[in-house]
Amino acid sequence: MKLAEALSIVRKAPVNGTPLKVVLACGFTPLHLQNFFAAHLQQAHADRKVEISVGLFEDIPGTLKLLGNDGFQTGALVIEWSDLDSRLGYRHLGGWGQRVVPSILENVKARLKHFDALLREIPSSASLALSLPTLPLPPGFHTAGWQVSEAELALHELVVSFARNLAPHPSVSIVNEARLDTDSPVSSRYDFRADLHTGFPYSLPHAEVLGRALAGLLSPRKPKKGLITDLDDTLWAGLIGEVGHEQISWDLASHTQFHGLYQQMLGALADQGVLLAIASKNTAEIAHKGLTRSDLMISGDKIFPVEIHWEPKSGSVGRILKAWNIGADSVVFVDDSPMELAEVQAAHPDVECLLFPKSDYQAGFVFLQKLRDLFGRPRLSEEDSYRLQSIRQGQQFQDAAQGGDSTEQLLAAAEAQVTFEFNPPASDKRVVELVNKTNQFNLNGLRFTDGEWHEKTNDPNTITVAISYQDKFGPLGKIAVVRGMKHEKTLRIDAWVMSCRAFSRRIEHQTLLQLFERYGAETITFEFTSTPKNKPIADFLRDLLGEEPVNGAVLTRERFNEKLPKLYHQLVEKNG
Amino acid sequence: MDNSETRLVKIFENVFPDLPADRIANASQDSVQNWDSVAAITLMNLIEEEFGIQMDFDDLGELTSFQKILAYVDGKVAQTA
Repeated sequence: MKLAEALSIVRKAPVNGTPLKVVLACGFTPLHLQNFFAAHLQQAHADRKVEISVGLFEDIPGTLKLLGNDGFQTGALVIEWSDLDSRLGYRHLGGWGQRVVPSILENVKARLKHFDALLREIPSSASLALSLPTLPLPPGFHTAGWQVSEAELALHELVVSFARNLAPHPSVSIVNEARLDTDSPVSSRYDFRADLHTGFPYSLPHAEVLGRALAGLLSPRKPKKGLITDLDDTLWAGLIGEVGHEQISWDLASHTQFHGLYQQMLGALADQGVLLAIASKNTAEIAHKGLTRSDLMISGDKIFPVEIHWEPKSGSVGRILKAWNIGADSVVFVDDSPMELAEVQAAHPDVECLLFPKSDYQAGFVFLQKLRDLFGRPRLSEEDSYRLQSIRQGQQFQDAAQGGDSTEQLLAAAEAQVTFEFNPPASDKRVVELVNKTNQFNLNGLRFTDGEWHEKTNDPNTITVAISYQDKFGPLGKIAVVRGMKHEKTLRIDAWVMSCRAFSRRIEHQTLLQLFERYGAETITFEFTSTPKNKPIADFLRDLLGEEPVNGAVLTRERFNEKLPKLYHQLVEKNG
Repeated sequence: MDNSETRLVKIFENVFPDLPADRIANASQDSVQNWDSVAAITLMNLIEEEFGIQMDFDDLGELTSFQKILAYVDGKVAQTA
């Protein structure tokens, strides 16, 4: 992005858009970092009007204190060496060299301690992106430039230790220096002329990259949820139907290590809750022999469903999507055959199709990084580890139904337990995450930043309930969130989402029942909006209301009682 | 308008979005309220980006109007051609 484009994006922000108030704290003139940061945020929040406040010049602590107040729930802190000690920059003449090193180290240590204390005061409802020093240290050390000095190492150690301690903070995300090194070469970052003349130390390209990185941390894109992989010349090297399961390979000696690395990557993704499936054209019996080889780097029980036959892969992908019950836009399909990719892409245009680069090492290296980027999530939650289990659980439900059990028998025998947590704490990031990533059972499709969500939930008249579920097949974790305002005998619901993994268990009925009972409501009003994807909740409401749901649709307690099916859940209540 | 003038007008539109198009050619630091030091540096960076030239910070003090900047840019571009 060029500076002109950044300014144009900011200029074209919707005048009447809801403001997105963002703090940018840095110790130098923010100038074009602010412009690029604003532009990238604006692109990520097209319907909002991004407003950046930079506080007072060189007053990082004062600026940081804005966060969490006056509608500022989002912010970025950009630290450079000169913010930790002015002698580590070029705009102050405080002395360089061995003589001042001890004093600089003491100063940096104290400054970082101060920052640490400030950052720990950030309310858990806020979000902060943190950038550690990106510019080179000045040449004020006794070694030649190609030899690192002990003092430089000590400085880096202090910064890394500071970041390491902050990394678990639920509100803080830290820019990955390694990625920054790739996107913005260190030698091109510093603008000596601009720093001395204006106090802005970054070259425009570096300001753009850093602004993008910070905005990306504050507006993370939705991670993909599932990966469907081919087998031959993808999960392993070789055509198993031709060479046999003992001759397929994924190791250094066979020069097929990349396939082993791919397996290893899939194993890591599975461990973080990514769903894995196979779509392969093969003879199932033969392919299964490959999948059960003990040296495979991913356990077979991490992969579900497995579609191995000679039918078109688009059909396999369709069935896998149905079993997973997630949107095609959450799924990646990997195959070494451009023809297979094209066939799947034509049938499922929203699936991201990736060519497995089996014979291009550089492309292979990039491919592994891309998988990380597509599936990476800011934090892992307990629910991530339940995902595959709950898909299998759903399958068991279906199997039982196909085996002749009626819905009532299934639900009665499920030993289901529903936990209602009233007013969950702001530190529970799963609540907003669930609201923002749920499409199908979503009352109106509204998305919120952490700050926006908590701004309303902090209102004493607001009721927020997080709902968890488990049954004899295992836990589903936190699967629903509902939020509303009580006014006399009416509850007005403005947000209600439930994970598709929890469908068919009457949790939505139980939720309404608890709301009616706990709050003595006579009516519940729904701020419903139809979206391209929320047919499941529209169907549910239509059935309950007896008419097409609209914004402001009202459900009476009497009507609800008429429509309420038998519920079998054991209830647990928690107060956040 | 010649090419460099058109390009410079677009830069001014970006930096001073509230400035009516018909006033850009006569714009000066005195007539444009938002023409402060930040705007001057932004103008400079956009001109460098657009024209592929390097401006001297010491010249900024003299570049107080659209017409002066246009003449300066044309001179720089001619030097580098």
